[in-house]
Amino acid sequence: MKYLAIVSFFSMSLMAASPEVVQYMNELSKTAKVENSSFNGFDAVRGKEIFTSTHTGKQGKPMSCTSCHTVNLANSGKNSLTGKVIDPLSPRANPQRLTSTKEVTKWLKRNFMDVYAREGSAQEKGDVLTYIMKN
Amino acid sequence: MKTLLNLSVAAMLLAGGAFLYADDDEHEEHENYRSSRVAQPVTPQEKATVALYTKECGACHMAYQPQFLPKRSWDKTMNTLDNHFSTDATLAPADHKTIQNYLATHASKNDRMSDMKGAVALRISETPYFVREHREVTKKMVTQPEVKSFANCNACHTQATNGSYREREIRIPNYGRWE
Repeated sequence: MKYLAIVSFFSMSLMAASPEVVQYMNELSKTAKVENSSFNGFDAVRGKEIFTSTHTGKQGKPMSCTSCHTVNLANSGKNSLTGKVIDPLSPRANPQRLTSTKEVTKWLKRNFMDVYAREGSAQEKGDVLTYIMKN
Repeated sequence: MKTLLNLSVAAMLLAGGAFLYADDDEHEEHENYRSSRVAQPVTPQEKATVALYTKECGACHMAYQPQFLPKRSWDKTMNTLDNHFSTDATLAPADHKTIQNYLATHASKNDRMSDMKGAVALRISETPYFVREHREVTKKMVTQPEVKSFANCNACHTQATNGSYREREIRIPNYGRWE
């Protein structure tokens, strides 16, 4: 039992997300499976591609998540329109990250719209969250 | 004696009032901004509302004091958050409602758009009052990287986030004081 507790604590810290965000990702996982029968878990490599690739965003201009967050998630970013500093996305650099499902869902919706001009699918959201967790 | 004292106090108050009134023509708006600080709520509920407003709107830009625009401008802003200056700034429904009410309650009582031919300003910098106050500011001062645009009040108004826009607090990056 004690061993189990240690293992679950260890895996939690590996996840680098709060229990409520982990729960949210479990729900995303279920939805992803419904939407795509060959779905076999979230993938940080796919998440990195989502995060770093360039798309025509809401402004009709080339845009990437890295346009504001930079390629190093442990660093602060900068809002490309206003210049306002954005705290690091990496949960290791910024423990506030991935602690609130409300915050996570709000920003995923907004930022997929800004970069992709559409909302992300459950799989895409889970992939990009998995990428953020591992950085 | 007591009556005399009261009278003289009243006279002083009247004189002071007259002086302030005379001063109002030029500085009335500044006085308003100073007394309407976003950061000085009173009740716990107000504190929570201001904290929400500052957190949500201040995530991407300065949380502008609601007094800079009339209600109809804020309503237009809040009703178009899905395309807020070409970004998605949508909020959770409950937060949206709280912030819209907060903005409506503290909006400018002056319409501020009398010269705008019926247009509803979304940008504070579009309003005639703002344009007039910044008419001597050069384009170079505003577009330099340290400022970027008129949207960054606090780049030059060093106390802007506290709701104070006094001239002596101005420090324009690479230019200095405004006096």
